[in-house]
Amino acid sequence: MTHRSATARAARAVVILLPLVLLSVFVGLATGAGDLSLAAALRGQEPDATVLFRLRVPRVLLAAEVGAALSVAGVALQALLRNPLADPFVFGLSGGAAVGTAIVVAASGTAVGAAAMSAASFVGLLPAQLAAVAGALTAALLVFALGRARGQLDPTRALLVGVVFNSFASAIVLSLEAVLQPDQTQAVLLWLSGTLGYEAMPLLAGAGVALLVPALVLIALAGRFNLLALGDEGAAALGVDVSRTRLLAFFAASAAVGIAVAFTGLVGFVGLVVPHAVRLVVGPDHRVVLPASALGGAAFLILADALARVLFRGLGAEPPVGAVTAIIGAPVFVLLLRSRK
Amino acid sequence: MSAAAVALLDARAVHYRHASGAAEAVAGASLQVAAGEVVGVMGPNAAGKSTLARVCCGLLTAQRGEVLLRGDPLGRLSRRERARRVAFLPQQQPQDLAFTAREVALMGRAPHLGLWALEGPGDLERAAAALREADAEGLADRPVSQLSGGERQRVFLARAFAQDAALLILDEPTSGLDLAHQVLLVNALRRRARGGGGALLVLHDLALAGAACDRLVLLLGGKVIAEGAPAEVLRPEVLSPAYGTEVDVVADPATGQPLVAPRIAR
Repeated sequence: MTHRSATARAARAVVILLPLVLLSVFVGLATGAGDLSLAAALRGQEPDATVLFRLRVPRVLLAAEVGAALSVAGVALQALLRNPLADPFVFGLSGGAAVGTAIVVAASGTAVGAAAMSAASFVGLLPAQLAAVAGALTAALLVFALGRARGQLDPTRALLVGVVFNSFASAIVLSLEAVLQPDQTQAVLLWLSGTLGYEAMPLLAGAGVALLVPALVLIALAGRFNLLALGDEGAAALGVDVSRTRLLAFFAASAAVGIAVAFTGLVGFVGLVVPHAVRLVVGPDHRVVLPASALGGAAFLILADALARVLFRGLGAEPPVGAVTAIIGAPVFVLLLRSRK
Repeated sequence: MSAAAVALLDARAVHYRHASGAAEAVAGASLQVAAGEVVGVMGPNAAGKSTLARVCCGLLTAQRGEVLLRGDPLGRLSRRERARRVAFLPQQQPQDLAFTAREVALMGRAPHLGLWALEGPGDLERAAAALREADAEGLADRPVSQLSGGERQRVFLARAFAQDAALLILDEPTSGLDLAHQVLLVNALRRRARGGGGALLVLHDLALAGAACDRLVLLLGGKVIAEGAPAEVLRPEVLSPAYGTEVDVVADPATGQPLVAPRIAR
């Protein structure tokens, strides 16, 4: 067996996955609550054209961005904690985001809160989503600060801090819900379960560009992620600054998750299942796993969202995409886990 | 040592303690490895051998004293430059790696790669040569997690060889290796030494230490208590008090090298 270079293997993975992404984009554009003729929409025929370009294209794009971001973040967290079960949401990020949102929603009931909200909306920002990102990043900082032992991020400790923080956060959210109006509670719940909405194209384009930064940082760290598998000492002996690599990766991953969470709330299992499935196919080399997971994650979330919209026809209401990813993700994860040995 | 020949490794009166309040693991030890030399570090458990090895390759920073690599203080070298000058093989290797043996050997090229950490054909060649050198060529495409302990050790030796550092610091490199592969390792180290490289080996097997090394350093309580050619250090009156047990040394009838055996009454 000849050995292919990392570049060649990454290129091959992209060539194999790109048709899958395109296929899922087609499925995503073609399925929905209503009937739509793609041909008619492309001819500019209404209302099909509006549905396609104003609703489905932005939604598929959002699904692709969020799916890619969560998967890449999952790969990074798994590598830096040397734990294949690490997930963006295990680290307390979900808890932090939830608390941020709940606080903003609760505060909007007060005069000061309402004023702050309208000021934020005025400059085009979405206060609840900003609060989610802030909450997620605060949680990341907290986990990073408390998850250290002897000046180094300790994987087990960080994971435990994240789990405990999530429980703590859900207690706060439950307490806040006591003071929320029923419709506010409904909004928070929907957001917590992860939903894809219809965002404006410029916003989506901005998010795409913003996501490129953490993605490129993580891909540049991919070689070092491989060395981390040798253990901290093994990596350090090969010239890796282990603490700095962890710090960079942790915050790049948190930024990617924060951007994703801002748009969709908490979509679980993507960052866990996609990297696992990708590794089964392409092997453990992060220089291949990272780009392949970005594509795989995009395809996965586009398809999960398409499924959610198909379910609308049967259920009469659209389940949150986070519920779909969990329903698919949990059994797939168990299968992957059992096929490992 | 002449002024012209700068030692690959020069550790000067190194002190290291793992935690404040703890006893010093290394208490003022000095040692040198010149180009062309294989040096063995021996001593009973907790003598400070592994700690000294880590200080010498920069994984731990000496609290007092200094370590020079080819005349440059360790602290002034970048991590990558350090990794190009010294390759370290720890005592324990990770067992659950999904990477293949070839991928692990290629990891040794890391300090030579650029920003995106992509290997070129030259790196692949170096890794293949290193696998051959460690007799791990036949394992190249197998995941390390599926290898036996000795096979895994050979793969990690290949990783250290692939690093192309003049100085190798190997902690218990023969652990898990059968006799043939111990001989193969020693020959590889001697070959590298002839080519201007050098090695510092932490060894428990005193007979192997005598056969493999040009010079031996005996540590006790973090201090060097004896140093010299194998015949000078491998003597019952030196070893018995250091190890706290009676030791016999006889000359190998074939080679004349000192053979060391603990005296076990039965």
